[in-house]
Amino acid sequence: MDTSFKPSKKLLAILAAMIAIGVVALIAGFATDSARTWPNILLNNMYFITISIGALMFYGIQYITGSSWSALFQRIPLAAGAFLPAGFILMLLLYFGLHDIYEWSHPGITETDKLIAHKAPFLNVPFFMIRMVIYFALWIPLFIMMRKMAKKEDLEGGEQWYIKSAFYSKVFIFAAVLIFSLAAIDWIMTIDAHWYSTIFGFRAMITSMYYGTAIIILLVFYLKNLGFLKELNEAHRHDLARYLFRFSIVFGYLWFMQFLILWYANIPELTVYYSPRFLGEWQFFFYAEPLINFAIPFIVVMADNTGKKKPVMIGISALLMVGLWVSLFLQIMPGSYGVLKLGFIEIGIWIGYAGLYLLMVFTALSRIRVVPVNHPMLQESIHHHL
Amino acid sequence: MSTKQIIGVFDDESVLLKATQKLKENGVNIKGIFGPSADHDLIKKLTKESRLPYLSVATGVITIILTFAFVYYVSVIDYPLHYGGKPVFAFPPMVVILFLVCILITGAFTTFSFLTSEKMFPGKSAKVVHPRSLDDRFYLVLDRNFNPEEIIQWLQDSGVEEIIEEENEA
Repeated sequence: MDTSFKPSKKLLAILAAMIAIGVVALIAGFATDSARTWPNILLNNMYFITISIGALMFYGIQYITGSSWSALFQRIPLAAGAFLPAGFILMLLLYFGLHDIYEWSHPGITETDKLIAHKAPFLNVPFFMIRMVIYFALWIPLFIMMRKMAKKEDLEGGEQWYIKSAFYSKVFIFAAVLIFSLAAIDWIMTIDAHWYSTIFGFRAMITSMYYGTAIIILLVFYLKNLGFLKELNEAHRHDLARYLFRFSIVFGYLWFMQFLILWYANIPELTVYYSPRFLGEWQFFFYAEPLINFAIPFIVVMADNTGKKKPVMIGISALLMVGLWVSLFLQIMPGSYGVLKLGFIEIGIWIGYAGLYLLMVFTALSRIRVVPVNHPMLQESIHHHL
Repeated sequence: MSTKQIIGVFDDESVLLKATQKLKENGVNIKGIFGPSADHDLIKKLTKESRLPYLSVATGVITIILTFAFVYYVSVIDYPLHYGGKPVFAFPPMVVILFLVCILITGAFTTFSFLTSEKMFPGKSAKVVHPRSLDDRFYLVLDRNFNPEEIIQWLQDSGVEEIIEEENEA
């Protein structure tokens, strides 16, 4: 059976280099244009929190449904959520940049802007920070408990750890689905404080599960390449591909639903959000978003056989990582910075965050067995076939 | 060619699977396997790749094109009507119509194609090889083969429970 994963020195050097690029980009950003850098920090925080929460939701769903097929690689979604504590600290740092991102945080705006004055009991800086702390105070302890149960299961064995994991998964799913919707509304939707969309939170939650699955696929194939997860067979890969395929449909549906209703209703308060994106300089990203996130995965993974092919799934998952960035870029930038600028700052900060995320994931993975040896459904999962 | 139908009776799925593999390797024509439960390994070994998905995709694409032509004709050429300040030809509202009509027609067409190709219709009575195939035995039916003696030998080697030989209906 596989022992635990140890990141090689070469990998650690690459990750350190990525983080260094990110730090350089951050310094360059603050030296030149801090109004451009703060929204980028929010974007990347949201990016990796989305992935982490999505992967943990995948983990929770397996316990809630009593799924056996995924038991073999169950530690990977668990490790993929390890970014949450770092995400918490990075989100707290956002306190110093609120003025560069959120219009409602400007002092004195409530006197001139009636709508923001009306929303002020909810949209004010202290309450915003308190809500942020509450969200993480629910996620992080649950995540720690889930990890603890998994570790105890590896060391001691026995069914009770499975039952306890299932309990914490249930609480986590509830907290994640509800709170992540609220968090997305809080952190992203309030950038355009005059605009609202009732589907926004739900869409963010589905998006999170979609990209969580994509990162799980990437990590599973990476570990398989290193020689772990030897029992991973065609049926597992096929099931992961189908998971991704279904989420691509839901994503496309919600994306179009949000757009169509606002486009058709043609109410000025609502179209104000889409007019710079649909008609202005953000047009390229507007059309790229559904193409990358919906059309290409949908058409490619639709055929039954492509889901079993490793290069195809790696390509699609990597493409989706770009797609999430485009999606968040389009949601955050027009309302906060306002000008379309894509350069070293944007890409460098993303690379730095990716390095940090992978470092945390691999560290978490090295502290736990890759294959859950005492999982009650492990044998069933190893012999999973269609 | 033998007109006899050879039926092998098995009570163990793994034995049946091995026998099927052997017969397949030797190019024996297997008419079907009848048993109380579905076995995915057997289904994978026996069935040819279905062409039904390709038919579905083709139907879907054709339906979308035809529906688009219809909606375009109605709302742009024949009866252009401005409402809500929208242009006469606007793609977003069409998407919903295309999506729904595509699913309806494709689903119905694929279902009926499947029923036609399998020669199934409402009220058709099921063909049962032997009543025990609904209970606890697997029946491997071999039809129209050149070498019945060899097949019987192979079946006996594989651990078959019983071999039935009967004349073909046709």
